[in-house]
Amino acid sequence: MSRTRKLDGVTLALFQGLFASCAEEMGATLMASAHSPNITERLDFSCALFDPGARLVAQAAHIPVHLGSMPAAAEAAIALGALGPGDTVMLNDPFAGGTHLPDVTLVTPVFLTRGEPPDFLVASRAHHADIGGAAAGSMPLAREVYAEGLRIPPVWLARGGRIDENLLRLVLANVRTPDERQADLAAQLGAQRTGERRLADLARRQTPRALRAAAAALIRHGDRAMRAALARLPRGSWRFEDALDDDGLGSGPVRIRARLTLGRGSLEVDFTGSSAQVPGPVNAVLPVTRAAVAYAIRTVLGAGLPVNHGAFRALRVIAPAGTVVNALPPAAVAAGNVETSQRIVDVVLGALSLALPDRVPAASYGSMSNVLIGGIDPRRGSPFAYYETLGGGHGAGPGWNGASAMQAHMTNTRNTPIESLEHACPLRVVGMRIRRGSGGRGKFRGGDGIVREIELLAPASVTVMSDRRVRAPYGLQGGEPGSVGVNSLRAPKGPWKRMPGKFQIDVAEGTVLTVATSGGGGHGRTRRPRARR
Amino acid sequence: MSLARGRTRRHAGAVAVGVDTGGTFTDFVALSSGRLIAFKIPSTPHAPARAVLEGLERSGAARDTRVRHGSTIATNALLERRGARVTLVTTRGFEDLIEIGRQDRPDLYALAPRRVEPLVTASRRVGVDERLDSAGETLRVLSPRALADAVRAARATRPHAIAIGLLHAWAHARHERRLERALAALGVPVTRSSALCPEVREYERLATTVTNAYLAPRVAAYLREIARGTRARLEIVLSHGGTAPAARAAREPVRQLLSGPAAGLRAARDVARACGFTRALTLDVGGTSTDVAYVEGELPRRRAREVAGFPVLLPILDVHTVGAGGGSIASVDDGGLLEVGPASAGAVPGPACYGRGGPATLTDALVTLGRLPIAALAEGALKLDPAAARRALASLAKRLPGRDAIAAAEGVVQVAEARMEAALRRVSIERGHDPRGAALVAFGGAGGLHACALAEALGCEAAVFPTHAGVLSALGALIGGSRRERSRSVMRDARDRAALERGFLDLERRVLGEFPAGERGSVSLERIVLARYRGQAHEIEVGHGRDWVAGFHRAHERRFGFSIPAAPVEAVTLEVRGGTPGEFVPRARPTRRKGAPEWARVRESGAWRRSRVVGRDTLAAGARLRGPAVVTDAGATLWIASGWTARVHASGGLVLRRSVS
Repeated sequence: MSRTRKLDGVTLALFQGLFASCAEEMGATLMASAHSPNITERLDFSCALFDPGARLVAQAAHIPVHLGSMPAAAEAAIALGALGPGDTVMLNDPFAGGTHLPDVTLVTPVFLTRGEPPDFLVASRAHHADIGGAAAGSMPLAREVYAEGLRIPPVWLARGGRIDENLLRLVLANVRTPDERQADLAAQLGAQRTGERRLADLARRQTPRALRAAAAALIRHGDRAMRAALARLPRGSWRFEDALDDDGLGSGPVRIRARLTLGRGSLEVDFTGSSAQVPGPVNAVLPVTRAAVAYAIRTVLGAGLPVNHGAFRALRVIAPAGTVVNALPPAAVAAGNVETSQRIVDVVLGALSLALPDRVPAASYGSMSNVLIGGIDPRRGSPFAYYETLGGGHGAGPGWNGASAMQAHMTNTRNTPIESLEHACPLRVVGMRIRRGSGGRGKFRGGDGIVREIELLAPASVTVMSDRRVRAPYGLQGGEPGSVGVNSLRAPKGPWKRMPGKFQIDVAEGTVLTVATSGGGGHGRTRRPRARR
Repeated sequence: MSLARGRTRRHAGAVAVGVDTGGTFTDFVALSSGRLIAFKIPSTPHAPARAVLEGLERSGAARDTRVRHGSTIATNALLERRGARVTLVTTRGFEDLIEIGRQDRPDLYALAPRRVEPLVTASRRVGVDERLDSAGETLRVLSPRALADAVRAARATRPHAIAIGLLHAWAHARHERRLERALAALGVPVTRSSALCPEVREYERLATTVTNAYLAPRVAAYLREIARGTRARLEIVLSHGGTAPAARAAREPVRQLLSGPAAGLRAARDVARACGFTRALTLDVGGTSTDVAYVEGELPRRRAREVAGFPVLLPILDVHTVGAGGGSIASVDDGGLLEVGPASAGAVPGPACYGRGGPATLTDALVTLGRLPIAALAEGALKLDPAAARRALASLAKRLPGRDAIAAAEGVVQVAEARMEAALRRVSIERGHDPRGAALVAFGGAGGLHACALAEALGCEAAVFPTHAGVLSALGALIGGSRRERSRSVMRDARDRAALERGFLDLERRVLGEFPAGERGSVSLERIVLARYRGQAHEIEVGHGRDWVAGFHRAHERRFGFSIPAAPVEAVTLEVRGGTPGEFVPRARPTRRKGAPEWARVRESGAWRRSRVVGRDTLAAGARLRGPAVVTDAGATLWIASGWTARVHASGGLVLRRSVS
């Protein structure tokens, strides 16, 4: 090319829309054709588009925890070796591009012109309902990643358009619901094809070179937009600390400490001083920590910012290796993605609240309250696996009460409809209500949590992975903390028994599990009634 | 067509009248002694029935006149939260379900996310001691005492309407029925979920039921008011594009939330057919938003979609709306990127060219580029100010380096068209339909201004600009046949043919029974299965016939790129649709002689071009018009780009194709 013409605001807007709709079309395919309720009902998946250097160009994110963590998957895929037409790389290894084992990611190169390298990469990540390991749902209270399920480093799932049947058999032999896994992988491959087709379609109208140039220009735009937004924040350095209750195996509290530094159009979060990695599965790998930081900044800066490599470039994350925010193998990591990520957000937002007291709200419920139940369905004689996360109360902010019974921060998964759940699994929902009064008091009230009661109609293995059962979500500016959550079990004819935040247990038919999630923190001091004379 | 404007003129008795209520105007299309008469009357938002009655009076509607009305009464009551005080009667322990919903937040990155407030407050939810399981078996029987308690508790809330929604009522209705009988004593409208939409997924079913109860009193009052003022037979267009008598529409008002857009889509489909296209994309560009759809034969459906944040588990045409219309505001972000919409300048202050200090909008861009002749917009009392439009764009251009007002206007049009294009892709390509070879039917006030660009972008074979493009929704209401639909979840294995057959026969009986006896002979019935592979959570729709399972595998393959022929197929929901054919519409004839050709300077692809400006009513069948040209019609404008030629089809529509050079 003789001269690179700088793309102007109009052209940028046009291409931003085109790339975004490409990722969204991938997501639409995946959601509508997958089998796991995790994907179809709870929308626990994301699709993205990268340039050949694994730099994010566009992402259709339904789940914020995928937002900053997908690039690591694309990087791991290209590190595997030269990718050719018809190849697809699969991975879930948290230490090589993944987050936790149930999140399986596919990366496919897209060739719009003949010859190497590819013009783009498309990727889809979906939370599969089970990927093997010590407990149904693959989020056991493990001490090592080996017990959490099948660990898939970046491998070729397909080469030259042919699926590696041997590899597929190996994977399916190691999971509890192989038919469902196969169907979900087929749906993911369908999403990849949708992405390829859509890019090829675009290339016919725009030429591959124009597409590549536009991708690069969009990344530059992301960088400019993020720096401009950061430059409007006050400069300085702030510290904040919070902790997870425990790691589920007796270690705790698990400390997360951050120092936030805002400079001229830049941001640094230094996690030095956070706890060393722990035996239990609350260790987060670095991509998860990055995702949490990127999310927290984005909420404070407003949603108008683009989602691409450029927009992340101004964010610097320092996380010493071997800590809970940058775990090394063979740490167990299942809950790093779902629990620790929430606490990292609490800490980063807490630090931001010191910089921007009139903008940032108190802590939300702070735990996804993962419930996993598996066993044999007596009605069909076949295995079942159920996974659910529960919302809770949102933190109140300067000027507003927190929302109740809603997902916050790193997740936005929907609940499974009770009627669908009872049709599909030997479970009965006994009650589902808002936990009134659980939000922290203050000038503005924190939102209330949720109570969900489930009766098991068959003997089953139950895993609960939750936090904020000891340390409450903090209030701000004199607002009170939200109530801590409560987990309890009642054996048939037995009394209610309070359970810890993280547990795994085999229970008899007729057992009832109750999970009550935390309320959000309050904001501002409640005005005391004047003392009577 | 003649367009009556200004002074009131009464027409001879109409056989049928189509009415479409809009924010600014209420449109009427009357069929009278073999002719179509179209006119507009200013809407009366504070007393919406008044404009309707005035128009009916003018069209000469009498006792035998069939009036079909695309109504916004239900939609507005929902959007403005002006419905009734509703009490929800539900299974004890699940009173908060209607508030929790699916627990997701509407905006991922909002610091203070807000959900839409439920239509029933916590103090108006009555829990009943009863429970069924997913097979419809009783786990906890509804005792006479529990029944009496429920009635007492409901009465204490002094409701204006009642919604009944119990867990698993889709599987069996006995408890809901008993409650319905007992609650009738309260003398207010009662909506029962198992009667309205007996489908699986409790939140969506309950929300639909509550919304219906919320709307029932207001919609009934509106329809009563119209009935008092006219002797004509009133029917309401429902969200599936067919009509139902006013009395029935009043009982199930949640079925009419997409009344207007459904009528428009229906008319657009018929226009495409008349011009020889079986597949069409439709584009209805209004003031604040654009409605798009893809249609091939039957009108496209979408399940479990939301209206204003409320799920509606009832047939709704798959019309997708984006916030990009004439009034959409243009702005530039921090990184220098141009955005158009979704914020709108509304009617006040309106676009800059309204001269009331409004911001730069899409309309201003079109005016600046000369594509929207001032005369075309000046029909109302508004006096347009093209200089103000240009000034607004010049100030926008300051934030777009290298662009002047004109180039900025071109950018605004491009970006708005990109959003419309994305919407068109969403309803076509994303749903597995190829837009190539389809016709793009462009209507509404501004649809025709974007027809060529969007047809080009999507690779459409042609674009069609219908007769009556500005009042097409009223025309769609007029031609809509009457229609009733019922569905029910069954959750059966596909091999359980006997059970499915029983389900269908029952639904068919009910659907036929809802038509007046005189119409039943002309009703055609259709069976639909919503099916999935066992284990999936979403269903796809297939016609029911002997070999519907094979059809399901094919549909799955077509839509998702794979099928699993060995896997068990589950019939989740059965649906029966019954309809009668609609009204026949006569062709439009040119009514005005050609005058001296008019010309305008229009900006296109970076250069000014001398373009013809032609009145629609001067074009006879077979006439050809080569771009660049502007065609003005009553309340609608068409821009024919260079390289495109319009030909007046025998049926009256203008068909635009790329010129053969």
